[in-house]
Amino acid sequence: MIKAPAPRLAIRGLTKAFGGVRALSRADLTVMPGEIHGLLGKNGSGKSTLIKILSGFHAPDQGTLEIDGQPIALPIPLGKSESYGLAFVHQNLGLLADASVLENLIAGDYGRLNPLAINWRAEAARARRLFGENDLALDPYDLVSALSPVQRAQLAIVRAADRVQGRSSDGLGGVLVLDEPTPFLPIEDVRVLFTTMRRLTATGISIIFVSHDIDEVMEITDRATVLRDGAVIGTFQTTTTPRAEIVASIVGRSMTTQRMIGAYSGAAASALRVEHLSGQIVRDISFEVGRGEILGLTGLIGSGYDEVPYLLSGATQAAKGRLHVPPAAHDLPQMTPSAAIQAGIALIPADRQRAGLALDLSLAENVTLPLLGRSLSALWLNHFRLAEITAEIIARFAVKADRPRQPASELSGGNQQKLVLGKWLQLGPRLVLLDEPTQGIDVGARREIYERLVELCQSGTSVICATSEFEQLETIAHRVLVFDRGRIKAELGGDQVTKSAIAHACYQENQTHAPA
Amino acid sequence: MRQPNLAFQVERFGLVIVWVAVILLFGVLKPDSFLTWSNFSTIFGSEAVLVIVTLGLVVPLTAGDFDLSIAQVLTFVSMLTAILSAKMGVPLWIIIPLVLAAGALVGVINGALTLYFRVHSLIVTLGVGTFLHGITLWISDSQTIGGVARGLMQWSIIERVFGIPIAFYYAIGLAGLMWYGLSYTAFGQQLRFTGRGREVGRLTGIPVGRVRLMSFVVSGVMGAIAGLIYTGTTGSANPSSGTTLLLPAFAAAFLGATCINPGRFNPWGSVVAVYFLVTGINGLSVLGFRTFVQDLFYGGALVVAVMVSQVISGREERNL
Repeated sequence: MIKAPAPRLAIRGLTKAFGGVRALSRADLTVMPGEIHGLLGKNGSGKSTLIKILSGFHAPDQGTLEIDGQPIALPIPLGKSESYGLAFVHQNLGLLADASVLENLIAGDYGRLNPLAINWRAEAARARRLFGENDLALDPYDLVSALSPVQRAQLAIVRAADRVQGRSSDGLGGVLVLDEPTPFLPIEDVRVLFTTMRRLTATGISIIFVSHDIDEVMEITDRATVLRDGAVIGTFQTTTTPRAEIVASIVGRSMTTQRMIGAYSGAAASALRVEHLSGQIVRDISFEVGRGEILGLTGLIGSGYDEVPYLLSGATQAAKGRLHVPPAAHDLPQMTPSAAIQAGIALIPADRQRAGLALDLSLAENVTLPLLGRSLSALWLNHFRLAEITAEIIARFAVKADRPRQPASELSGGNQQKLVLGKWLQLGPRLVLLDEPTQGIDVGARREIYERLVELCQSGTSVICATSEFEQLETIAHRVLVFDRGRIKAELGGDQVTKSAIAHACYQENQTHAPA
Repeated sequence: MRQPNLAFQVERFGLVIVWVAVILLFGVLKPDSFLTWSNFSTIFGSEAVLVIVTLGLVVPLTAGDFDLSIAQVLTFVSMLTAILSAKMGVPLWIIIPLVLAAGALVGVINGALTLYFRVHSLIVTLGVGTFLHGITLWISDSQTIGGVARGLMQWSIIERVFGIPIAFYYAIGLAGLMWYGLSYTAFGQQLRFTGRGREVGRLTGIPVGRVRLMSFVVSGVMGAIAGLIYTGTTGSANPSSGTTLLLPAFAAAFLGATCINPGRFNPWGSVVAVYFLVTGINGLSVLGFRTFVQDLFYGGALVVAVMVSQVISGREERNL
């Protein structure tokens, strides 16, 4: 079936560098008509750069693109990719929940619609026909907010197909790029989505399926291309290639990272314990973290590891679970941020811009907020004292700032994060929870943040760090828990805390697919 | 810590400078009628009500909410005071706590509806304010009610200090209190984080819901205080008195946020803004312009104020 003469889409020698760092290096990718082609790779492997070049968001430094044998000039003008037969479905699906299925279906379809006179009756009939062809039980007048998650994903995919089907230059099928459409779907729903995808490819459409999940890629795709560090490692026939070979090419033989911590040797008796924690994704998980231990949480996107810091600090409400911080125990469904602070728990959220700092307000206001009414009087704020405290934190955490009164928006990302760290660590917490602490931060600041965390654990504080960066875990984690679909699937400690061991654990075959 | 640079000081006191310039301009044009102590003491005294309404708005605005009902709280309280005092002969020492409590109750209602149903405060307070106006028309039978106890007038407008009616000093006193509250108490910081970094505040343990509720209660009480003083100033209650105050108060609050403490709603900026606006209007009417200048001036000031504050924050961004 994939021996058709001309490829639907052919990328050759695609190269893109950001500030001297090669995000994509001479990448080739060929997709045949009617093929489902997987695109695999870790975070930072170059997948999203490649997708963003296809959508016209980035201009490549070198490389060519052909669709149905026709060379396409790069960069593709933003918003014009559909006219070349390329359509995208991103993880957020791009649907407006408050609008009807039909409104969503035709939104932005200016190539076909007359924007001054929309014939709703004809459009509804057309939508019913389209849903019928694709075996979708959707009513055009339903609200998207009333659809199940898998129905929404199906709608987004069928909409994208509708835009390119038979409308590329010579009436051929077009290419859909599905960028992680499945991470929050249960496995039964993923299969439903696969049926929809197969129906579309039967009509000649090609699909590029981007996913972290090897099992899904093995199941649905014809071939898969693996990217690592911006380069194409290989393209495999997924039906005949052993899984281990694909995993090996994703993970690679990584250079060892310099670890900043030794082996953990703490007393288990004083450990903090999490019991039977359930949230939106995580289900009934239990684990311990010792005094002075840095525990890493990781997993693939959608596995739920990044939910844990918020559940433990009361930032999002847990459905179930208890947290023991000896001698106290806290019922997590009743946990609130202020109770967490009282219990010596600090949360450093991933969303620095919204949840970490109030960017319009000054450094001093941000840093001293948790002290007000605690160590500082609530009825007489001495602004000189606030500035002094802030200047101390700025010095101790090596924040590059002019003065305590400047707005936080003036700092770079790394300095903002150091300030957030200072804000919380001045409280002397017993448990520090972090989510992606070095996201969007340069190498130097990253190193400093690691040093602060190592100091912190040496002083006996427990640290839980949720991150998708395996290298970070190898650098600073004593122990790592790997999550999969809301459960802990592996625990790595001691010598096992290496990038490649963590990656192997993440990509290890799921019990849900084939019992080991 | 901050180097006192000239540009920053000009920005801080820009509106004060413009105000002084406006006074000089009208003073040169109409020295006998405009530039007199009696004209200014009248302005200071009669516009104390607008100052208090503006101060009332500053609190929910700082917390990121709008209170469009405040002017109708003023009208309602004014009418309630007049009816209780003139028609029923209730003594002032009962009326005053009662109407302040009524203002607080409106604040609680605004806050509860906004928070519980998660509706935007703009809509909630628009509705509550209009409802309140309906009640005002109902209880007054759409009539102006006069004959309020003399004590209220005595302690609003008749009593003077340095020739200025005492109401002015109430407004300045409230501005001082609010300045202290916003700048030197934890509650002020909590309000600010609730407005400018609600999620940051929530994760740092601020009860953002309670803070927002309190901000509506404060604006309700401020509306009630303004209503009492309004009644004292005019000696009567008029069922549509507050309606014309809402837009000027918003214009002054936004204009005030461009000075003294630029980029933030602040009480002294609001005081300056109110007196700048009324000075301009007073001067124009002394020159012979008719009442339409009020709307031109207030409406224009609101738009100019939000433009200026946008330019200020835009410039901050380029400062990176």
